Amino acid sequence: MSPTYILLFTVAVMGCLGLIGALVLYLTAKKFKVEEDPRIDTVEGLLPGANCGACGCKGCRDFASECVKRGKLDGLNCPGAGADGMSRIAAVLGVASVETMRTVAVLKCNGSCAARPAVYDYDGARSCAVMDAVGCGTGGCSYGCLGCGDCVSVCRFGALHIDESTGLPVVDSDACTGCGVCVGECPRHLIELRPAGRRDRRVWVACSSRDKGAVARKICSAACIGCGKCAKTCPFGAIDIADNLSYINPDTCKACGKCVDVCPTGAILSTFKVEPKQPAQV
Amino acid sequence: MRNTFKIGGIHPSANKTASRRLELLPLPKKAYLPLSQHIGAPATPIVAKGDKVVRGQLIAENSSFVSAGLHAPISGTVSGIENVVLPWGKPSKAIVITASDDEHSADTEAREAYWRDMIPSVCDRTLSERLSGDDIRSAILRAGIVGLGGATFPSHVKLAVKPEQKAEVLIINGCECEPYLMCDDALMCTYPGRIAEGVELMLKAAGIPKAVIAMEDNKPEAAAAIGEALKGNTSVSLRILKTKYPQGGEKQLVEAVTGRRIPSGKLPLSVGAVVNNVATAFAVWQAVATSQPLIERVVTVTGDIPETQRKNYVVALGTPLAELPFTLPAEALAIAGGPMMGRSAVRLDAPVMKGTSGLTILSRPSKRKVEACMRCGACVDACPMGLEPYLLSTYGRLRMWSEAAGADVLDCLECGACSYSCPASRPLLDYIRVAKQRAK
Repeated sequence: MSPTYILLFTVAVMGCLGLIGALVLYLTAKKFKVEEDPRIDTVEGLLPGANCGACGCKGCRDFASECVKRGKLDGLNCPGAGADGMSRIAAVLGVASVETMRTVAVLKCNGSCAARPAVYDYDGARSCAVMDAVGCGTGGCSYGCLGCGDCVSVCRFGALHIDESTGLPVVDSDACTGCGVCVGECPRHLIELRPAGRRDRRVWVACSSRDKGAVARKICSAACIGCGKCAKTCPFGAIDIADNLSYINPDTCKACGKCVDVCPTGAILSTFKVEPKQPAQV
Repeated sequence: MRNTFKIGGIHPSANKTASRRLELLPLPKKAYLPLSQHIGAPATPIVAKGDKVVRGQLIAENSSFVSAGLHAPISGTVSGIENVVLPWGKPSKAIVITASDDEHSADTEAREAYWRDMIPSVCDRTLSERLSGDDIRSAILRAGIVGLGGATFPSHVKLAVKPEQKAEVLIINGCECEPYLMCDDALMCTYPGRIAEGVELMLKAAGIPKAVIAMEDNKPEAAAAIGEALKGNTSVSLRILKTKYPQGGEKQLVEAVTGRRIPSGKLPLSVGAVVNNVATAFAVWQAVATSQPLIERVVTVTGDIPETQRKNYVVALGTPLAELPFTLPAEALAIAGGPMMGRSAVRLDAPVMKGTSGLTILSRPSKRKVEACMRCGACVDACPMGLEPYLLSTYGRLRMWSEAAGADVLDCLECGACSYSCPASRPLLDYIRVAKQRAK
């Protein structure tokens, strides 16, 4: 048996096997083809692809098929795509876009290194979850930011970073999509999604301490002491004091900024007063 | 050949140097009683601001079956139900009681008489023969007793054993494997007869035929005292085990005593055992025989402080840690509990609670540099549950909660043997603890 013959025989057999296999695959694909709306692919292309889960669906593909299946956008919103993206999706589906207010993450703590110097030493693992599990954190505040950046590491849009000088995370409001993954990650629940506001004007209480005023103030000079000055000043009745802590209701707040001026500890922050009032030195 | 558990374990230096004599710490003028001092639902306060309470009165009742009530450790006036900080700096709702000078001195007198009249070594079995199991269990429930070994699991739940569960042995844990701590040792040396009586009461309450008091071979004094008290006793016996940490872990102890291994995720009852602490047995005796609810416990003060200050105290619950007589050296670290499983106590104005077994002072060791894992497997050798700590800790660090759950992270008893044995000083347990919380 010559080598040429063996070679030709092998090529012929393998070729035939390949052809039969290809035929089976072709027929199977034909027979079991799943008809899928081509618009799902188009919609998916318009989504950020971060699979963050902020829409409530299992991922971007799931959201896209949900949009196409329902044929309308009521109750469906991708914060990552933003108003622009959503109106494009609406155009693909041929429906009117639904107006939704963009939300942005804000940090409800202003306990910077200056306001709340480290009183305890911590040499465990650098993770907020670990630090929160063993105690109150280096600053001594059992409500405030721990500064290890668990929120930074879960953000899929690069919208968070730790400011080295304050030791607190900073939200880049342009990059933030309001997906809310950081909200769930913070072991102390310090991040809140608030409406971005008209012309990007937002006011919020940057403190979460439920300690009594004197105690909170002793730990952190930027703490909300629950004095109630802001609530008295607010012309719209948007501020409530509960558990020694002030809360600004985003639905009724008109972002006039009067509360920012009267707060004695500088615990209320805003996006439009560039120089927030410096907390008094203790 | 003395028994111990088979898998893993470490031998940290014991450092059990405190005095075995029990001393009464003066009652505090102001007591802070956190509502959640046990595993389970927090207690519900039944007193309000301004109410007068007397020592031993119920001030908060158990809100569900797995919960425990609280009693006033001092007579006085309730000055509020407010947030107080726990030793590790976290706030917790607590009942605050303030005593006047008269109330304080009357309480002190009554308490001194109570402890003076307690006969140390006689074991009187008439009580456990006279009372029914239900009587004893309801007395335990009324007294708010929880496991005093550290886990603070409500005792009436543990002792509610159904006949079909076929409990064969009650194991009384006197191992105290945690380095430095000596509160159980001191109690066993001082009141062995009372502990034996407490064990008899527990046997009756749970309807179990026999009990074993287990302790490690590094406590000869306690073994002699307990052995003396158990002379002629057919239902309770003493078992000496080979010293190894963490022998006091429930699963390890059951294996060391009975040779049976508890399957993953199961309770000791699945192999016919119930485990309770010696201090719990003593508290049961106090509750049933003297009607004193759980308002005091033994606390060890030890560590890198002068030898004369290393002592065991009977402390009223709610006493601020700062009232324990010791001088905290500069740059020292206070730990609520022992060095292996205790938590760093940053606030010494925090109160002693039902689970506070001691206060260990360590002069701050120099920080060791955390290095990369070299896959040496020391943690795997040390883990008493046969887990792979390096893997679990990596899962914890990388937020892979479902993988961690798949690798049996919930079996971890947080003994710290992995972090102790790691030559690269990696904070293994820190991450495993987080993974354990999230994997639930």
